[in-house]
Amino acid sequence: MSISITRRTLMAGVAATPLAAYAQGANDLKGTTVVFASWGGAYQDAEKVSYCEPFAKATGATVVQDGPMNVAKFRAMAGSGTPDWDVVDVTGGFLEVAAKDGLLEKIDTKLVNIGRLDPRFVHEYGVGAIVWSYNLGYSTAAYANGAPTTWADLFDLKKFPGKRTLLDQPVASLEVALLADGVAPDKLYPLDVDRAFKKLDQIKAQTVFWSTNSQSQQLFVDREVTMGIILNGRVYDAQQKGAKIALSWEQNIQAVDYLVVPKGSKNRDAAMRLIDTMTVAENQTKVANLIAYSPTNLAAVKDVDKKVEPWLCTTPENLQKGFVMSQLYWRDHLKDLTERWTAWKIA
Amino acid sequence: MTTVDRRLWLLLPAGLTLTVAFLLPVGWLLSRAFTFPQPGFQNFVLLWERPVYLRVMGNTLWISAIVTPITVLLAFPVAHLMAHGSPRLRRWLVFLVLVPFWTSLLVRSFATAILLQRHGVLNSFLIAFGFTEEPLPLLYNMAGLLAGCVQVLLPFVIFPLYSSMARIDPAYMRAASTLGATPVRAFLRVYLPLTLPGLMTGATLVFISTLGYYIIPALLGGARQQMIAQLIQDQIATFGNWGVAGALSLVLLAATAALLALLQFTVGLKEIAR
Amino acid sequence: MNADGMTPWRLLRGALCILVAVYLLAPLVVVVIISFSSASFLQFPPPGLSLRWYAQLLSTPAWTNALLVSVKLLVPSSILATLMGTAAAYALVRGRIPGATVIMACLMLPIVVPGMITAAALFGVYRGMGLNGTLTGLVIGHTVLSLPYVVATVASALRVQDARLEQAASTLGAPPWTAFRRITLPLILPAVLSSLLLAAILSFDELIVSLFVSSARVRPVAVQMWSNLLGDFDPTIAAIATVCFGFALLVLIADLALRAGRGLRLA
Repeated sequence: MSISITRRTLMAGVAATPLAAYAQGANDLKGTTVVFASWGGAYQDAEKVSYCEPFAKATGATVVQDGPMNVAKFRAMAGSGTPDWDVVDVTGGFLEVAAKDGLLEKIDTKLVNIGRLDPRFVHEYGVGAIVWSYNLGYSTAAYANGAPTTWADLFDLKKFPGKRTLLDQPVASLEVALLADGVAPDKLYPLDVDRAFKKLDQIKAQTVFWSTNSQSQQLFVDREVTMGIILNGRVYDAQQKGAKIALSWEQNIQAVDYLVVPKGSKNRDAAMRLIDTMTVAENQTKVANLIAYSPTNLAAVKDVDKKVEPWLCTTPENLQKGFVMSQLYWRDHLKDLTERWTAWKIA
Repeated sequence: MTTVDRRLWLLLPAGLTLTVAFLLPVGWLLSRAFTFPQPGFQNFVLLWERPVYLRVMGNTLWISAIVTPITVLLAFPVAHLMAHGSPRLRRWLVFLVLVPFWTSLLVRSFATAILLQRHGVLNSFLIAFGFTEEPLPLLYNMAGLLAGCVQVLLPFVIFPLYSSMARIDPAYMRAASTLGATPVRAFLRVYLPLTLPGLMTGATLVFISTLGYYIIPALLGGARQQMIAQLIQDQIATFGNWGVAGALSLVLLAATAALLALLQFTVGLKEIAR
Repeated sequence: MNADGMTPWRLLRGALCILVAVYLLAPLVVVVIISFSSASFLQFPPPGLSLRWYAQLLSTPAWTNALLVSVKLLVPSSILATLMGTAAAYALVRGRIPGATVIMACLMLPIVVPGMITAAALFGVYRGMGLNGTLTGLVIGHTVLSLPYVVATVASALRVQDARLEQAASTLGAPPWTAFRRITLPLILPAVLSSLLLAAILSFDELIVSLFVSSARVRPVAVQMWSNLLGDFDPTIAAIATVCFGFALLVLIADLALRAGRGLRLA
């Protein structure tokens, strides 16, 4: 399943009618502990307040927070058959890989009301929670006269001197390199990997790699870097907390995060019901207001704070400037390209 | 001789724990090198053929080789003052070195990261006093890694050096100068050789500790300063490749053992235990 | 020695010592200051002061649980290591045991073998036994890691004591256990207590084995700190670090008092 967010489909739908039957007895999960793993920092805080706490209050279960989510750790856990995590927030690309490799429990539609969501965000093995985008972020202090706007600017060390930051993985980094090299978004996949690495060589010596989203924020706060790839919500959050940072929407790369249940989870049913809590419009609005990631339950969009709205990657203007990352490409190439990425990085 | 036998029982709990919870597991890990995924030497062939592995192993040795002399040079004056200063001063110095020694390595490493930031304390200081105009890149590179390692390892040289120096009879130095040796010559020919056991012990401890570091390179180093322990962690956590992890562990242990053997050869482990 | 000739060297030595002192202590000072920061990020100097990160520490279940796990872990592991280590040291120093030097060297191995290897090995064999993610698994790991420090500390205290005292007691008819309890134990007690403290601190600070063996449900402070550093990067970590630092300082002072009281040599 590939998502293709267009202006029309997004504007179109309000979620389907509720299928009833999801109401459960209050406090019937007392004594159950569900481990929720996500990406840490401001985003996980938002998820905690918006999904986990209402879930815990309604069911009596205890939710333990863990993270940051790490593909390797997930794989090791689900592979062992006795995962420590019960509900995990993963990116669309990894959802596809994990589903293919049999690392996930099927979503139980008797427990999760998938009818609340736009069908584009419902997968057999995961339920979309947010839509977000990779953007060019920059320090407003470093570029007071003339801000960078395009991915090409990221590679222009003459015009925009300063340290760069990229995420420590090929996902998005390779796309960005090709876009900067002049490849059009619709001609991007399959990626011309050699060309991408060659382009990345230009800034490699100037680059600090981040492996978690909080690090990407911290690097800008510390003024350790002046420009780089960063998620829209993280820029919003850092700015709210007083950092001198801004973003460009030019060729933003959109992606979806899903909630999944690792294979063998001892609390499968409770995990499914936590995911169900996530699909409720009111809860999704809360997340959007806290960290500016877009809801997958379209009924949640209308209540998003007017001040936050321009920060959502799914507004018509931002959608038009961006495009959607190919989950299927990364399903098939994540492993090989990760190995090549590691070799390139330390060479 | 019955008492001998009865005291042997006292060894049992520690011996058993060590065997079951340490020697056997480590042996198991090392044996993976030859048995995973199938019996043979394929894992060592892989270490030799993939440039990434060789590079990381080379990196690790190189980093240890830089950390060691820097640590010794900085430790020397401190140990010297500790050994030959007033008792009051010695107590303060011991306390000063022990406080960080007893504080978690993780805490100290991330604190060092804050100091070394591009717009951090150290850079502000360097700029204010005119040592540099632009902030220096001190973090997520070799400089950051060295600063972190040396800081954590200083006590490992200071204490053995101190204990060697404290045993030096001042009469030797007086004799040397009475016989007409210049202070520098007396230091180099008489004093320095007498500190060698402590110095070698400290240096070896630093070298082998650095070889196995994981937290400091992960927090303070950059992509190019990857070290062997990180690679072992990666092989297990990311790839579930116990064979390569076992082979890397064996290489790391062999290097450690070789250095200890060298120390035994030059100084003697009996001396170290003192 | 000629004072005039030595003065520049003394100045250089003094300057280097001050440099090292600053180098060793500055990070700790910075951490303590940042823990009282009012900012949402790890910034130095902080823009303002507040206690919000301490409040955060006490109100976040992840941190309070981690503290509880750490205590449940360091108490049994330090006691076990101290008991076994003291017994072993006594046997090795006082007993006439063939190959004592080799056994002693083997007992020191957990210090020499890099933590990553120990961690990977324990993680590997625990998988088959269901010990990963359990307190038992962590206690075993920490006991093994602390054991050598106990053996070394107690053994060196025993070597300083005169073995003939105990022999005399035995000759006078005291059973071995009584002779040990009445004569030797009081003499080595400061060293035993000191190694107990050291084992407790080692367990509290240990990260690598814990990182492999712990789970989200059973997670000690050091792992929670590591996860916070990677995932959150907010000043909560400075607050918990300050607490740890205060704890370490107290233990160190207690330890120095123990050593000073009995005239033991340092380190």
